[in-house]
Amino acid sequence: MNLTARVVVNRLAQQCAYKRIVTFSTKPAEHAVPAQDEPKNVEVPPAAPTQTPAVPPTTPRKPIIPANYRFVYPEFLPDPKVEWRNSIREKLERLDMLERRKQIDLPEFYVGSVLAVTSSDPHAAGKTSRFVGICINRDRCGLRARFVLRNVIDHQGMEVVYELYDPTIQKVEVLRLEKRLDDSLFYLRDALPEYSTFDENMEAEPLEEGAPVPVNDIKVVLRPRPWLERWERQNLRGVANIDQYLKDKHRLSSARVQKPWEKYDMMKHYRSTIAEEEQTEIFAEVHTELHTLELQRKRNKRKRTFLKPKHLA
Amino acid sequence: MIRTAISQLMGLRPSGGLLTQVRDKGHLSRPRLRNPQWFLRKEVTNRGDLVTAENKHFINDLVHEGFGAPALIKGVQTYEQNLIKTRDLATPPQTWTPQIRRCGVIARKIGQYPLWLKNGERIRTTLLQIVDNHVIKYIPPEEYVPKPLPGQRDSAANHKRGVLIVGSESTNPVQLTKEYSGIFKDSGVVPKKNLARFFVSPEAALVPGTPLNASHFRVGDFVDVRGKTVDHGFQGVVKRHGFKGMPASHGVTKTHRRAGNIGGGGEKGRVWPGTKMPGHMGNRWRVIRGLRIWRINSKYNVMWVQGSAVAGPTNGLVYIYDTILPLRKNQEAPPFPTSYEDSSEDVWYEKVHNFKDESIIYEKE
Amino acid sequence: MNQADVTKLMSQLRIAVRPNKRNLKNPDGPEGRLLKLRKTVTALMKHERIELFYNRADEARGYAELLISNAIRYGDRHKATMELADYWLLEKQLVHKLFKVLVPRYENHNLSYTRMYKAPRDYPGTYYRQSVLELRGNPYPTLDTDHSQNRNLLHNVLLDEARKEFRRQKLSDLVKSSQ
Repeated sequence: MNLTARVVVNRLAQQCAYKRIVTFSTKPAEHAVPAQDEPKNVEVPPAAPTQTPAVPPTTPRKPIIPANYRFVYPEFLPDPKVEWRNSIREKLERLDMLERRKQIDLPEFYVGSVLAVTSSDPHAAGKTSRFVGICINRDRCGLRARFVLRNVIDHQGMEVVYELYDPTIQKVEVLRLEKRLDDSLFYLRDALPEYSTFDENMEAEPLEEGAPVPVNDIKVVLRPRPWLERWERQNLRGVANIDQYLKDKHRLSSARVQKPWEKYDMMKHYRSTIAEEEQTEIFAEVHTELHTLELQRKRNKRKRTFLKPKHLA
Repeated sequence: MIRTAISQLMGLRPSGGLLTQVRDKGHLSRPRLRNPQWFLRKEVTNRGDLVTAENKHFINDLVHEGFGAPALIKGVQTYEQNLIKTRDLATPPQTWTPQIRRCGVIARKIGQYPLWLKNGERIRTTLLQIVDNHVIKYIPPEEYVPKPLPGQRDSAANHKRGVLIVGSESTNPVQLTKEYSGIFKDSGVVPKKNLARFFVSPEAALVPGTPLNASHFRVGDFVDVRGKTVDHGFQGVVKRHGFKGMPASHGVTKTHRRAGNIGGGGEKGRVWPGTKMPGHMGNRWRVIRGLRIWRINSKYNVMWVQGSAVAGPTNGLVYIYDTILPLRKNQEAPPFPTSYEDSSEDVWYEKVHNFKDESIIYEKE
Repeated sequence: MNQADVTKLMSQLRIAVRPNKRNLKNPDGPEGRLLKLRKTVTALMKHERIELFYNRADEARGYAELLISNAIRYGDRHKATMELADYWLLEKQLVHKLFKVLVPRYENHNLSYTRMYKAPRDYPGTYYRQSVLELRGNPYPTLDTDHSQNRNLLHNVLLDEARKEFRRQKLSDLVKSSQ
């Protein structure tokens, strides 16, 4: 009897302790508490050989959500700044994004992929304009998500910022699906023009189904200074000849602003990411619809790749 | 001043002879950060940590007995109350005229995101969620006698508007004081976290217990939104008034973010009232008027209003009124005195592009 | 409005996390701040219960939690985790303790790995708030107040009686309605 009483008291103490904690979580409190008792849905990363059993015995089934969803659909994850978060707003935003995705095929692409975007333009001749270019940056989340395309047309560098969910966009085609060595390619602005020149009538280069997205390890050649940014400070991997233009003073100043300790600042990373449990929750909500859209896209692609042989003579 | 301080310390009420007038610098312009001492206390300080688990359960059971089990209604945590008033319970139907002032609602600013118009234009919208609003009390104009402000004559005789007290966001009454819970006693509503009063025409009076939803407004109407701006604390002129400051170099010393000159000499040799200077920034009530409602989602009681300038932080409280701007006022009758229908649909203003529609294509001339 | 960083995947912490970091006053800047916190985390892993200023404890708590959670998640054969442990634990024998003692202890744990208490401020002393930070499951006697005798308090006795009365009333109502 004494033992049970103590157990009850302990549990009470724990409950009290949890009620008192002021969380900055956006989840309502009644969701937050049972979430701790739920078995963790541990996704085992491929590069993590562990001594412990890979799947804990408490896990009922394998997660159905593909591990690469956070790379394919990064805009479905909300801004990690807690002061700006609200679960209902995020939910409404995701619903709107899904509605838009049902109208238009927004394919998987990454920074470094070559895209062609057809959009309505009141000032263009045929009221539509098509722009081909390399995606040099992706940013913002939710309905604000946008990407930058770059191309060199008539010896003039052109960049267009597109909003992914803008209803004036009619079609997004991925001409070449690949990644680059860096997360953003703004240095192409200071590179030789041939690195950002793409043919407007470029044919789509199909990738084998199920094959991993290739990483293009091309190293671009920069023009001499002056540059738009101090590229030497950004630890770029996709640049070939940066050392050629650096003097000692540049090397010294770039060494001075490096922050090697940030690699170990786990809380900084934690505050800039969405925790895995929360990601699973978000993607579980949108997974079925995204999956059906993906299947539909695959079917369409097969239809398109099969061309009827032309009737000769 | 010292004498007042001493009397406060001793817990004495300053009598007429003891009270000395305080004239501090910035004493009046500083935003008040806490309620006065005589204000009704809301939350109890005793958290009941010493109550055993079974008894805590028992107390909660009692609360649920009275107000229903906890439930998530329209995305807000509240209790299952059987309080939904219908039209027949309300006062006999009144006709609406443009002079009539309706009740407002309490909402939370839950964020902002873009919408697109049908002509392809991108607009910024703020999402306001109406959080579990119920009418608590109506005070008719003849009964509403506010305490006259010092220096003002009592104008109780010419009050034309009554007062509706509206509460939002149900809470556990165990955490509230007896006096505060007493406000809700006659309405039959669960005690609420937030209260607001709205001055309404007597025709727009509502029965206590009436829920207020997003359907109180119509898509396309204009509203005024009142909120408390983000508190930035004491700030310099560069942040507070957008002054340019002075150059970083070229011989400038110690005056990089300073205001510079604040006035000339001569006959008017003084600092003029209203000169922009450093001081407390934010934490003040501000009203943004004439915002169009672009879209209403009745399932979550959310409305999308124009712009991103609504005062206050995300998840902050705001109050929504029908606009008083003469050219944007309601021309046709809005739901009056409020809408009693409960729907769960998503209504878009005719000019806004619905995401369910196809992409926008401009027609060729 | 920016995107969440997707290159890293972290488990949700079971503690309340402040939206912003504290700078913890240090002449060496952010690097010095981390050194300060490394000392605290090392001490926590070593002694399992430490008493220190509240702000510093609160900052160090997150790092300790994440260190343990990473160790559980990736194990000791993961290079990045090992580097993290090497950086955060200044005394290297504690790396063994982390992987061989703490990981088994917290493997099937549903609560946070650490616990924090507010401690009294000594008067007249420094103004800073004091706290006690400890690892759960440590060998020391508990710091929780003993609530086992609460049921003998007057209001609990009265509430007990009221509860019984309430239940009896409900039961009789039920019987009446069924008849």
